[in-house]
Amino acid sequence: MRVTAPRSAGGAASARPLRSSGTDDPAGDIAAVYVRSLIGSQLRLAVTVAVGFAVATVLFVLVIALVPGLDDTYLAGVPVSWVLLGAGIYPLVITVAVLYQRAAARNEARYRSLAEHE
Amino acid sequence: MNPAIGYTAIVGVALVSALIGFYGLRVSRTTSDFYVASRTVRPWWNASAIGGEYLSAASFLGVAGLILLTGSAALWFPIGYTGGYLMLLLFVAAPLRRSGAYTIPDFTEARLESQWARRVTSLLVIVIGWFYIVPQLQGAALTVRITTGLPSWAGALAVAVIVAVVVAAGGMRSITFVQAFQFWLKLTALAVPVVALLLVVGGGEPPAQLPPAEAFPASAGPGELDVYRTVSLMVALLLGTLGLPHVLVRFYTNPDGVAARRTTVIVLVLLSVFYLFPTILGLLGRAFAPDLAASGEADALILLLPDRLVPGPLGDVLTALVIAGAFAAFLSTSSGLVVSLAGVISQDLLGGSVRGFRIAAIVSTIVPLLVALATESSGLAGSVGLVFAFTASTLCPMLILGIWWRGLTSRGAIAGMLTGGVLSGAAILGGPLVAASVPAIAPFLEQPAAWTVPLAVIVTVAVSRLDRRGTPAGTDAFLTRLHVPER
Repeated sequence: MRVTAPRSAGGAASARPLRSSGTDDPAGDIAAVYVRSLIGSQLRLAVTVAVGFAVATVLFVLVIALVPGLDDTYLAGVPVSWVLLGAGIYPLVITVAVLYQRAAARNEARYRSLAEHE
Repeated sequence: MNPAIGYTAIVGVALVSALIGFYGLRVSRTTSDFYVASRTVRPWWNASAIGGEYLSAASFLGVAGLILLTGSAALWFPIGYTGGYLMLLLFVAAPLRRSGAYTIPDFTEARLESQWARRVTSLLVIVIGWFYIVPQLQGAALTVRITTGLPSWAGALAVAVIVAVVVAAGGMRSITFVQAFQFWLKLTALAVPVVALLLVVGGGEPPAQLPPAEAFPASAGPGELDVYRTVSLMVALLLGTLGLPHVLVRFYTNPDGVAARRTTVIVLVLLSVFYLFPTILGLLGRAFAPDLAASGEADALILLLPDRLVPGPLGDVLTALVIAGAFAAFLSTSSGLVVSLAGVISQDLLGGSVRGFRIAAIVSTIVPLLVALATESSGLAGSVGLVFAFTASTLCPMLILGIWWRGLTSRGAIAGMLTGGVLSGAAILGGPLVAASVPAIAPFLEQPAAWTVPLAVIVTVAVSRLDRRGTPAGTDAFLTRLHVPER
């Protein structure tokens, strides 16, 4: 019963080789540039979404804390401020996740069309 | 409470788990099983399986208990447990699937080409796994004590024995289907009682013990949040999820990186729905069972509430359902962790044989059992939160930098993991002693992630920059593999 990968897992990394710049292979250089730009755009996207989520959450909490009367308005016996904090952030998380998933797939499609048009 | 209900529910779940374990002997998990499964497992099944393994004692009992005990500050726990999967989606899901690594040590070795980095990672994975199992066993001890009247150690011992036997015999996780089933069992075990209790309470009988203004005082409301503690808790929960040993392996049954992302989005939906129920039970507890709000006892709220609000046969059925769900939570999370730990221990120390795996499974269960028996539970959600803080300070910086920064070196990763591990470990273990004499720094020791994670990242980057050996030769090829879409 094996539960972990074979020791030589790293060897499989050569399946899709990336030649780094400075070789005498111009096609390899271009491929490396495409890959770097893919990694860069995916990282920018992930950081943007993460920061966006954090900012939205902070704003949401500020609204709950600062809008007057939310602690004294009751929904089925529970203050609206508690209901909002208890249930309000999940729709935000799911929305952000779906938007990210689409954008990441778009980045990959763009990379693919660049790499194939070479 | 009638002990017969507790015995029936616990023995029933234990029997089903044992049967599944022995059945698993014949379908036991091999490396190739994963490859075969990867072409057949749909994202919905996969996502249910991830949810089934992830929702532990802390989620099932701890969240409601903490809401009862501390008020709206506890609402941040399920937000963090769910948000962790958002971070997982953004930073690791697709690349980690494409890396071909089964475990985090496998990833470290492939990325950093260093046996030492692998060993440090393995050690951290084992420590994290052990300390994550402890609250599961404490949850079992509490459940057995409350529902049957047996002493606490009986519950912890029972779960440890079942998990060790089942995992050593066949590996309970052999089939994705089983874990997926666990998720729906846990969801049902909370959703049905919640609906029933809301219907009963909505009829006005029994009346609430506290009026709304006293059950939900503004002083425990969202407006009064402790900014440092909340931020630090969020850092721990959001980033700690990335490094949990039993989470990564599940992503392997996705056919490719795109499917790994889709699975993660579905996990987010499933968790969002699930956490509504413990939240509602916690809020009900504040109005209808405020007398249970005592440290260490509050975690039993979910087990006691059905009988309080609906005495009689219906209450008994609801109670049995909740107990079964709680036991399923302890068993599935602990066995998932023990399988991951036994894999790491047997491969790194015992040569990877089947016999080694069985020995490792037993060792992986005995250590947390001893810790659970020697310590008192101080709240399940809180203890699990500290494990997340440790994970976020150790494995998370290495994983994220390893995936996104080509400059990471093995020395940098080792230095960062050790820094984060020593700092957060010292804060968690030594914090309670120091905090009593110097109350001013107590929050920083009780919720250390907000400063230990940045320090671990800084040390990782600085040491990598100074490392004259530079990045490993295969870094560019490996990063290409992580990020370029399959086909």
